[in-house]
Amino acid sequence: MSVKTGDRYGGSFASDVWTTFVRWTIKSVRNPFVLVVSLVQPIIFLVLFTQVFGGVATSALEGVTYETYLVPAIVIQVALVAAATSGIGLVNDIENGMFEKTLVSPMNRVAVFVGKTLAEVVRIIAQVTIVLSLGVILGAEIATGLVGAVAIAGICVLFSVWFTAFSNVLAVVTRDEESTIIGANLLQLPLLFVSSAFLPLPALPTWIQTVATFNPITYGVDATRAVMLGEDTMTVIEVTRFGGMWDTLVPALAVLVCLALAFGSVAIYAISRAASADVR
Amino acid sequence: MTEYAIEARDVAVTYADGTEAVRGVDLLVETGEFFGFLGPNGAGKTTLIKTLVTLLRPTDGTVTVNGFDAVAEPQSVRATVGYMAQETSIDPELTARENLRFACDAYGVSRAERGDRIDELLALVELTDVADKVADDFSGGMKKRLDAATALVHRPPLVFLDEPTTGLDPAARNRLWEYFQRINDEGTTVFLTTQYLEEADQLCDRLSVIQDGSVVADGTPETLKRRVGGEILDVELAEPAESERAVAVARDESLFAEGATITPTESGLTVTARDARTRGTDLLVALRDADIGVVGFDVRAPTLDDVFLAVTGERTEAAAADGGDVQAEAVSDGGDAREAAMTDDGETGAAPDADGVSR
Repeated sequence: MSVKTGDRYGGSFASDVWTTFVRWTIKSVRNPFVLVVSLVQPIIFLVLFTQVFGGVATSALEGVTYETYLVPAIVIQVALVAAATSGIGLVNDIENGMFEKTLVSPMNRVAVFVGKTLAEVVRIIAQVTIVLSLGVILGAEIATGLVGAVAIAGICVLFSVWFTAFSNVLAVVTRDEESTIIGANLLQLPLLFVSSAFLPLPALPTWIQTVATFNPITYGVDATRAVMLGEDTMTVIEVTRFGGMWDTLVPALAVLVCLALAFGSVAIYAISRAASADVR
Repeated sequence: MTEYAIEARDVAVTYADGTEAVRGVDLLVETGEFFGFLGPNGAGKTTLIKTLVTLLRPTDGTVTVNGFDAVAEPQSVRATVGYMAQETSIDPELTARENLRFACDAYGVSRAERGDRIDELLALVELTDVADKVADDFSGGMKKRLDAATALVHRPPLVFLDEPTTGLDPAARNRLWEYFQRINDEGTTVFLTTQYLEEADQLCDRLSVIQDGSVVADGTPETLKRRVGGEILDVELAEPAESERAVAVARDESLFAEGATITPTESGLTVTARDARTRGTDLLVALRDADIGVVGFDVRAPTLDDVFLAVTGERTEAAAADGGDVQAEAVSDGGDAREAAMTDDGETGAAPDADGVSR
């Protein structure tokens, strides 16, 4: 028995990420209920919207089927719902003492957030794959092929980071499962409807077009839709210097990266300060 | 190896809402010691323990743990302590083995050592047979034992146990006591907070009592018991509702030496006094003369429960649940319970060394 006197304790940053990732992945696999439930709403939207609005909307879409138009929005919705459940996991950790146990260990707190987010990324990729496959079965076409499908999953992952961070901040602030669920769900549908998710922006009221410009959903949906259609789909920002779908992808991804960095930083700060925030 | 596992000097912790949870606490815990930290609910025990394990930053004062400054070197402190929180802290969706593996990885236990260490700890807390079962299916005692094991994976030289046996049945409690005693025997310093004074009496080399954020008594269990002063006379009344009147009779008659404490209990009254044994019969006569029926009495040496009551004026939650009484409120000489308890050898509050630190 001896007191350590070295400079480095515990594992490396990478091993802390891996340790956290493994724990959350085991929990996901052991409790597939969350994975299934968070798929239900987007799949219902996909089936109902294509059946109810398909006929009307397709005529306004100039050669694109509503299935093809809608699938990018649904995969973003999948990422949004999955990210919303991230905070619930953190609240459970706070309630069962694992959050405090992690904070009192020498694990790197940034690595803890990154590892947990990575586990959620894997879940999101699985869910997006399921929805994309279902969309193709229903008649959607991915103009950019298999590479495009992979890119869509990647965009969904990038998109999910800001809402995952937001959901985790909610969890740390409220420390209550119900408040975290309500807080995250409260934003989901309004954000989806005041964006380019379900209909082209020019077909929506002017105020919605204005709000959509500041809505992260618009950038996520426009980016996935650009890959789906293989063309420039963005209407909130006019970019022409990159050509084709890159005129959408470059600005949309730039916005999503900035959002991820901003919200991620706030989440890491909130998690790091969670225990001692109440002390003067 | 540092001389002191914990050096806390003039530590204060004030919450953002202005609550002063810890006020000017000085504490020295020697390496290898089994140290008990007692106090009523809300006294500041958990706040101080969270400050020592770096979960909270002290508002004032300095904290050194295992030779590392808790504010400047929190990572070093975290790596060299084990912490078992008041609430059981395990992942219920993982198996016992997975919980221990996570703890090993969190503390950087090498892969080569990990397997053996997990098996060793599972055996220590007698969970080998259920190692691959999900922890959610465990009883409260099994969860606590697993929690204790996860705090020990990295062989920390110092372990903090925050009311580790609260809510456990006596058998499970005894089992955990054995584990804690065993790791202390192996050289680990143990810092224990508990509601069970029997636990503190049996396990701890030394105790401090905290009340309202300040240390009010400090010493070995035997020293503290001696400080209570004399012996304890418990009187059981035929009508417990007459306990207040019986206390008044005992006070009015001035039966006991100066410094005695006379407190009502659920079944009658308790007298703590140097002459409790010799003057006990006089009290029984006085009660009879006042038409207060007595059905039983007992003279005994003070326990830590009596120390706690005398020092804090309160019974512990555990003692109260076992049929304890109301707050101490009566002292024959008109002083308060805390002063009465300490006047036997002229001390009040903590017993400071020359440098003013409880040791």
